[in-house]
Amino acid sequence: MKSLRILSKLINLGPLILLYYLSISEIDSHFENYFEILSFNIQLIIIYFWVSKRPEVLGSGHIFFAGLINDVVMGFPLGVSSLSYLVVSLVATYIKNMTVNTRITTDWFSFFIGIFFSNLVFFFLLVNFSEIVINFTDISYNTFFTLLFFPFFWFIFTYYNSIITTGKNA
Amino acid sequence: MSSSRDDFSIAFRSALLQRGAAQKFSLVFLIIIASIIFFLDVYGFSFMKPIRSIINDGIYRVSLVASSPSRFLPHATSGITNFINIKKENEKLKKELEALKMKELNVEFLSNQNKSLKKIIESEESYLKKENMILSKVLIDKGSPYLKSIIINRGSKSGILKGMPVTDKDYLVGRIVETNYLSSRVLLLNDLNSRIPVTFGDEGVQAILKGIGKNRPILEYLPEEFVLEEGVDVFTSGKDGIFFPGTPIGTTAEGGEVKLFTESSQLSFVKVDISNKGSEDF
Repeated sequence: MKSLRILSKLINLGPLILLYYLSISEIDSHFENYFEILSFNIQLIIIYFWVSKRPEVLGSGHIFFAGLINDVVMGFPLGVSSLSYLVVSLVATYIKNMTVNTRITTDWFSFFIGIFFSNLVFFFLLVNFSEIVINFTDISYNTFFTLLFFPFFWFIFTYYNSIITTGKNA
Repeated sequence: MSSSRDDFSIAFRSALLQRGAAQKFSLVFLIIIASIIFFLDVYGFSFMKPIRSIINDGIYRVSLVASSPSRFLPHATSGITNFINIKKENEKLKKELEALKMKELNVEFLSNQNKSLKKIIESEESYLKKENMILSKVLIDKGSPYLKSIIINRGSKSGILKGMPVTDKDYLVGRIVETNYLSSRVLLLNDLNSRIPVTFGDEGVQAILKGIGKNRPILEYLPEEFVLEEGVDVFTSGKDGIFFPGTPIGTTAEGGEVKLFTESSQLSFVKVDISNKGSEDF
């Protein structure tokens, strides 16, 4: 019984562990060796999905810290990824507050609004306040592919969400 | 109309300020904190440098441990695939051997090139005369669509300063852009922020090698109406006083691109040249 409870707790922590692991590890979603412009941001998909579907498994504080870790690993000024993640989280919370029932199409569209503002904040801060030069087209490609891969992860996360049974009381 | 605006403002305010069941902080609080951290870091307040250095060193170490499974798997799978593809590799090596034989025939071209390079080599600050090299292990080489950089396991403790050149098998791969006590960040040549003065060809043409965020950087500021030949070796010119003259970088390719001698995604160990102590404040 106790081991079952630990297992279910671990399952509930899955999205959070994945978010932290993707931020801190070397695993990247930039496949330049296969297709030079192919890159997408899984963290944004994780944040949007879980904040809009089950916010109790992904606290805002954790999103903030994952952003800080990502900044250190990627070499960006501290706080820029946190802000970018929190903007997605804000849009997801707003959509959650405004809607009762969502489908993949509505989620996909609202996710586009989320990543648009998120990447806009990211780009605006880096271009105007830091010495780092980043390419607008790279950001656009990243946004496009992140949006393109959203449905794929949506189905995976929806399935995962269905096996989280005790999450609501977490 | 006004009621929909009210709905929007209520929902937006709620999203910003409300704390859910398991949320300890409101979004607006975290956004303010993140903004403060960002501006403190960007405007380089003196107290932020050691804090950032400690955070960087700590997180790079944790990242190295966290990345070990992802490093082990490609090694294990590549060993098996190498064994399977040994025949293909043999054929490939034969082709490479033929190409090398062809290169041997090109003695005349090389002798001309040697003449121009001798001038560089004979200069006092020659790349070949340097001795102070530190071997460093690549801790993290996380690919990013925006920044092309790697983290190495040597920092200010080992005498590394900003701007120092980094090489792999004597080929230039980049320069130090961030130093911590135990680690440093190397900006690679193909990063959008990288600019290196270079020289190439028999006439010692000067140009700037500019990273464009893709695999191959490009040559800029070439002489007017200059026709770039392919396959010409490109070296650092040392005009900036940071890089040693004559460090090999790559060969010219189509459209002003330079094919680098080193594959940035395959770096395991690199050497940092610490002989130029005036590299700080780059």
